[in-house]
Amino acid sequence: MIRFLAISLFFILTSCSLQTTEGLRQTELLLDEISNPYFENQSIDYVYKAKIEVYNNNLGGILIIKKTSPKNHRIVMTTEFGGKLLDLEFDGNSFTKNFVIEELDRKFILNVLKANFELLLIDKAVVVDAYESDIHRVFKTQNDKRFNFYFIKKSSKKLEKIVNTSKTKEKVEINFSSSDGEIAEGISIVYSNIKLKIDLEKFKEDAN
Amino acid sequence: MTPSEISLFKEKVISESKSTKTIKSDFVQYKHLDFLANDVKTSGKMVFKAPNQVKWEYTNPYKYSVVFKEDQLLINDGGTKSKVDIGNSKLFKKLNELIVNSVKGNMFSDSDFEVSFLKSPKYNKAVFLPKDKKIAEYIASFELLFNKNDAQVFEVKMIEPSKDFTQIIFSKRVLNSAIDDSVFSN
Repeated sequence: MIRFLAISLFFILTSCSLQTTEGLRQTELLLDEISNPYFENQSIDYVYKAKIEVYNNNLGGILIIKKTSPKNHRIVMTTEFGGKLLDLEFDGNSFTKNFVIEELDRKFILNVLKANFELLLIDKAVVVDAYESDIHRVFKTQNDKRFNFYFIKKSSKKLEKIVNTSKTKEKVEINFSSSDGEIAEGISIVYSNIKLKIDLEKFKEDAN
Repeated sequence: MTPSEISLFKEKVISESKSTKTIKSDFVQYKHLDFLANDVKTSGKMVFKAPNQVKWEYTNPYKYSVVFKEDQLLINDGGTKSKVDIGNSKLFKKLNELIVNSVKGNMFSDSDFEVSFLKSPKYNKAVFLPKDKKIAEYIASFELLFNKNDAQVFEVKMIEPSKDFTQIIFSKRVLNSAIDDSVFSN
């Protein structure tokens, strides 16, 4: 009986814990703030080809992001033909809607997109916990009821991954591939709770 | 343009358009957004075959092609293929019709637009203003620039209500070469 209880308790405890921190060792904080360098340079036009897979439907477009002031980002998505799909402004806390086509102008869709862009664009966040593995240093931050885990590769010091979670479950994972640690050439965003996957590939410099 | 210049110009465009059975052309597209340092540039090839088959193929900086076929768009996004049914969306249909017809230049009979004509030493320009309020939410005006000599469209500009615009410039245009129907699959 005691053995059964112990096994049950083990399963309950492990099913409540995050996979993200499994195998990681807790460390001292080391940093007060963690930063995401990939959209913080005001002199760069960040232009990406976007491929979106949502509930087995494929959509495409161009995602354009620009840091327009120390606090503000402008986010525009267009079709390949150039027609605007959405045009939002993010001030670090909230979004202003400049334009959204009728088909996307639904509360659920916009909330998913806004949460997604917020995760991508927040460039500084206060660290509440820190972990490490042999490969990564991991910094945990809190955003309301959600947590973000920033994975920095020890050898290159590049931000490789952000995992967004609730207390018990992974919600979104963003993977960055970057050769210089300042510009992400490739970004992959995968949702766990909805069938949504976004792949972003940066336009090559010589094309612009 | 004077009324007689306008009717002469329209006649020329319509007769050119009628004798044009196929078009092959390179194009460069610029997306201008006022907050960007540089316009977003993409480029590729366009193929048209009368009466209404069109393929737009972006090759730089990514591979993406669209075939307009009846009420469907056949899309190949870097190997990922999909179909979009546009039969139900009047607005989308209209926007696609604009893209198809702007290749030929023959949009003067379109009752959804108010058309005005301008001339310069180098080109003639037709400006289309949407009458439909729904279309006007997306497009403030649509401009076609025509060569003076052969009345072919060499530039398309779609201006949004925000003043941001998309500009497509055609080059290396080849008229009436043989184009197989199999080109218009995706």
